[in-house]
Amino acid sequence: MELLPFFEWMESSVLGTIGKTYGGVYAIGQSIHLFALAMLGGTVLVTDLRLLGVLLKSTPSEVVAEEAHKWFKVALVAMLASGTFMAAAVAVRMYRNDFFWAKMLALAVGILFVFMIKRPLLRGPHAEINPLALKSMAIASIMVWFTVAATGRWIGFS
Amino acid sequence: MNGGLGVLNDWVYQFAVWLDGTEWSGALHESYYMYNWIESTHVVTLMLSLGMLFLIDLRLLGLTLTKVPASTLAARLNIPMWIGFSVMIITGLLLFYAVPVRTATSIWFRIKFVLLFVAAVNAWMLHRRMTASAGTWDNDPVAPRNIRIGAGLSLALWAGIVTTGRLIAYDWYDCYREQGEFIQFVAGCVANQAH
Repeated sequence: MELLPFFEWMESSVLGTIGKTYGGVYAIGQSIHLFALAMLGGTVLVTDLRLLGVLLKSTPSEVVAEEAHKWFKVALVAMLASGTFMAAAVAVRMYRNDFFWAKMLALAVGILFVFMIKRPLLRGPHAEINPLALKSMAIASIMVWFTVAATGRWIGFS
Repeated sequence: MNGGLGVLNDWVYQFAVWLDGTEWSGALHESYYMYNWIESTHVVTLMLSLGMLFLIDLRLLGLTLTKVPASTLAARLNIPMWIGFSVMIITGLLLFYAVPVRTATSIWFRIKFVLLFVAAVNAWMLHRRMTASAGTWDNDPVAPRNIRIGAGLSLALWAGIVTTGRLIAYDWYDCYREQGEFIQFVAGCVANQAH
């Protein structure tokens, strides 16, 4: 499927035009994206480091995972909204940027990982889950989200 | 406006020019991979430093992990938060070292620096208030009003720090452009600036 027309349409849309015309608005979008990234990272790390037995050992991991997931969803929505706005302004350039596609792939893996594997698994009592599986999942989760962040930053360098 | 602070601007500029002339500053700036890895580390570490700070502030505001005693949460998350901030300070200094003159004369960098100072003072005051009231509200879902104000202020200040940090990349107020006297003074532009 040819995606270039979609990216061209995105760039000429109202969203793309606003981002291209008003540098200040675009910069605010970038700041919201970074702020949301920090929040998302915090929720991912606090859950995964708890599962690894590094942080908050006196608090049940079920409580940490449940509470952190609420803010994870807020941060994810903010990241997706601000990210779409940022990408729209330079959509055609993004289409030709390898790191953009790497980030999109990592993001898709991250979202699927959270909602298809991590959340369903963590909904039940954590004591019933194989500790090795729990720890492996936590490490994989940290790696996926750090890849999302790192590939996102490298979009600007390439 | 060109009194004592004008002299300070001149000193900062001279220091930045000296840094710029050192061998490693140029090498760092010219190294595509090294510079970009340092900048990436600076940004990605936000997830650890600011991420932990968010959770502490949100707990104090009664918006998350309300079943966990506030002092326990703050004490536990402080360690990874400070590891993150330490990495950010080191990478931030390296980024400044790589592009010293433009950064020292960036209005956004200067505002960011002031906000960082205010955020540090606010964090210190918040810590003092928490220590002084320890035990009286630790298990309450919401902290007392003065602590909530400190936590809210912390979030607002960090929003400002992230925004001004991001804006350093934009050259709208750079010294090479035509600027008003006030902007030139705040940005630290000096007469006949060669860099």
